[in-house]
Amino acid sequence: MNWHDVLTAMLPEHILLAGMVLLLCLEIVSGRDRDGFFVALLTVAAAAVAACDLFAQGYAGSPFAGHFSVSPMTSLPKAAILALTLPVLLISRDDFAETRYYVLLLASLYGACLLVSSDSFLTLFLGIELMSLPVYVLVLLAFLRPESTEAALKYLVLGGAATATLLMGVSLLYGWSGSLGITAFTSALSATQPLATGGAVLVVAALLLKAAIVPFHAWAPDAYEGASVPVTAYMATVIKAGVLLAALRLFGTALVTGPMVSLLAVLPLVSMAWGNLAAIRQTSFRRMIAYSSIAHAGYLYYAFLGAGPGRYQAIVFYLIVYGVMNLLAFVALPRSVDDTRQDHLDALQGLFHRQPVAALVIAAAMLSLAGIPPLPGFAAKFLIFRNVLAAGYTTYAVLGLVASYLGIYFYLRVIQYMFMSAESPDAVRGRPRRLAFLATVLCLVPAILLSFFPGWLLDRL
Amino acid sequence: MADSTLLNLVLWLPILGIVAIALLPRGRDSLVRNLSLAVMLLQLAMTAILYVHFDPSVSGLQFATNQPWIREWGIGYNIGLDGINVLLVALTAFLGPLVVAGAFSAIQKDVKLFYAMVFFIQFAMLGTFLAQDLFLFYVFWEAMLIPMFLIIGIWGGERRIYATIKFVLYTAFGSILMLAAVIYLVYSLQQRTGINSFAFVDLYGSDLPLRTQMWLLAAFGLSFAIKVPIVPLHTWLPDAHVEAPTAGSVILAGVLLKMGTYGFMKLGFPLFPEATRACTPVLMTLAVISIVYGACLALVQNDIKKIIAYSSISHLGYVMLGLVSLDLVGIQGAIVQMVSHGLVAGGLFLMVGMIYERCHTRDLAAYGGLAKLLPVFAVFFAILTLASIGLPTTSGFTGEFMALLGAFNAAWPLHEAGYDLPLVLAVIAVSGVVLGALYMLRLAQQLLFGKARAPHQPLTDLNTRERVILVAIVAAVFTIGLYPEEPLRKTELAAREYQQIVTGTALDQESLP
Repeated sequence: MNWHDVLTAMLPEHILLAGMVLLLCLEIVSGRDRDGFFVALLTVAAAAVAACDLFAQGYAGSPFAGHFSVSPMTSLPKAAILALTLPVLLISRDDFAETRYYVLLLASLYGACLLVSSDSFLTLFLGIELMSLPVYVLVLLAFLRPESTEAALKYLVLGGAATATLLMGVSLLYGWSGSLGITAFTSALSATQPLATGGAVLVVAALLLKAAIVPFHAWAPDAYEGASVPVTAYMATVIKAGVLLAALRLFGTALVTGPMVSLLAVLPLVSMAWGNLAAIRQTSFRRMIAYSSIAHAGYLYYAFLGAGPGRYQAIVFYLIVYGVMNLLAFVALPRSVDDTRQDHLDALQGLFHRQPVAALVIAAAMLSLAGIPPLPGFAAKFLIFRNVLAAGYTTYAVLGLVASYLGIYFYLRVIQYMFMSAESPDAVRGRPRRLAFLATVLCLVPAILLSFFPGWLLDRL
Repeated sequence: MADSTLLNLVLWLPILGIVAIALLPRGRDSLVRNLSLAVMLLQLAMTAILYVHFDPSVSGLQFATNQPWIREWGIGYNIGLDGINVLLVALTAFLGPLVVAGAFSAIQKDVKLFYAMVFFIQFAMLGTFLAQDLFLFYVFWEAMLIPMFLIIGIWGGERRIYATIKFVLYTAFGSILMLAAVIYLVYSLQQRTGINSFAFVDLYGSDLPLRTQMWLLAAFGLSFAIKVPIVPLHTWLPDAHVEAPTAGSVILAGVLLKMGTYGFMKLGFPLFPEATRACTPVLMTLAVISIVYGACLALVQNDIKKIIAYSSISHLGYVMLGLVSLDLVGIQGAIVQMVSHGLVAGGLFLMVGMIYERCHTRDLAAYGGLAKLLPVFAVFFAILTLASIGLPTTSGFTGEFMALLGAFNAAWPLHEAGYDLPLVLAVIAVSGVVLGALYMLRLAQQLLFGKARAPHQPLTDLNTRERVILVAIVAAVFTIGLYPEEPLRKTELAAREYQQIVTGTALDQESLP
């Protein structure tokens, strides 16, 4: 263990840790809550820059061999996760003044960064739990309406079930291979012993549950609806990205064969179809996004059917695009004190006439999520389905595309509400806020760049 | 300076237009209108320069740009003019200013957004025609949905939401299967030849097995057939046309419907020539059904817009007939018919819009004797009616006649060989001309002649703006009708190449008609 390595390789994590400590000290020393916001913002920005720098240097090293390693392939997703948190922080200040909110958020981010770099089940588990546990609290912390408690409890119980499943799977894999290294998982994929297969299936099931794939999706709509806007945005982007990156870390470039194929083809396919269909019936914006995220998790897991080398590119590109566009919708959302009202889709009616920029931005986000070109969501979806098709799963690719077609309607309905409806009496007339505007610009710039120059990012993946 | 820069400028000018409109302050509606018109006229002028400098004796692309876009996937920003798209690009640029000017008085709500959307769809349509890369083509093809969705949905009639969602869901369904086919086609090209490219030139002659070609043609064809539309995939069209504002109808009838036939001509048939030859009887039958069925439906409508909408289905049936005849005359006729229909149907929709602005109804029964009430209107309407019927000296005649001639040219040798189906179909197709005369004359007679009546009298006749628009269209209709050589010369080489690719014959074996 080289101290210099530990310091450099884990710089993003160290910065987050330093930020947390500083926040805790501030909480004791200073009575002013608003400092917490700036400290958290600076911390995350610095950590993102550090991760970018590691990527730009092409730094590779493993400060804790066998447990934690850093390479450009981990630094880039890390930088993306950290950067995606910035808009979330910018829209948080109105909902959360307390310092503890920021501490929890940074802790969760630390977990996400840890799992991206993990080499053993130990660090992977630590990362996943550190990422999820603070979010249970964050959901409850919003407490804007009684449902928040229910949502948090549901999330906690099902999250606990996922943890147990993961641990069970890991222990089976450990028993089979005698190693805690995550490579045990890939060798178990091609093994035929029931112990190995059972362990691998349990691990995959836990990851499907964490990403809300049908039939393990029931917690997501409640949790998304019960949380407040910034927390939902965080869950839909960063947490989802974290889980997928954990799966990516586990699968590596191993080819998925045998019975695992049906698990990773059928369940995501059902997710796409069900998520898109169920979203049509929703009247709450966040519930709708929850179902949309169930469908998107389906697309993302589809990428594992593809050949190993293209998988990293497809998933990371999709996560970045999906994260940026999803956040774009959340940060532009008109806000009001009454959470039930602001969350209702009717609140968007006639938005174009009140806040044309917000309406156009949300429309762009919806079209991108629906995968309509020239918005970047199309290139992301194209990449995933190209890989699936190239791996020889023609039928699954076509079925997946048809399932994605089912989603077009409900995204368009949001646009219909904003542009084609007369203003409703429940319209939310929030005043434009400077921080939300800043967050919008922060998301809009990458969104435009990704629309016109997707090749720039793809070349770096 | 007629080079690739100018072509790029023509394509991107609408985006500059959107930026310019967005920067204008709120509430300056008349400024927005005039600026939009100026941009569209500038685009038309630049397109005219390109058209004049387009050399018909050169095969392949002219004014081409080919830049790598997503290098890793072999996707390029690859655009250019060729004999197939040159007339359609000219048509799009020609209708642009007319659409903008035609909406001056009709659109009073969200004017900035409206003209931004008109620019957006102009950009997407030009891009679809100019794209020479399958990925780029698909991006533009799908991007057209967004502005059309908003144009129908925001400024449309009473049932606009239903109509616009139906339009999008229909077209998107075709596109999603086309996307699967696009991915499969490019992937199989890569497997067979090692070339990782989306460029049309690389994809032609991909030489896939017939079974695969059939599947891919079905996927591409479904998408294009919905856009054309070919019966039985036409049910979105009357709704979209009726509910769309005038500008939307003009764009839809004038250019958007040609996307389907253009897609068949540029991609569907040349990419899968063996499958096309195997499917010719089916395609021909569908084309003839569209001609006759569309005409029959037009005959019984009482909504003026619906009559013209159904007539579009019938007229585009001729285009399909000409394309699948694989006869040089037929193919050229199809191209001319595309342009002609764009002008005539576009003009008719503009005129319906003008009368609707005055009388606020599209019910045919409410009108009569407009020749007395609005003499100038009546003259233009009569001319466009006759052009729609296909009277000689109008563009409609050139297109329909050549398409039918091509069908007969192709059918006759088969008839002599004892295979009668194509000939029977060609004969049935001729009956479409008669039906066309019937429904258009019924419309003109009810509208223009008889006892003079119309709601919201007294009516004012066409103003200068409206007259200029219609004079431009009528002049174009007669130009193509009287001097068809010029457009035919521009397209001949491309039509011949299309014929060779699809029939799989070399140039020297070609018997010239």
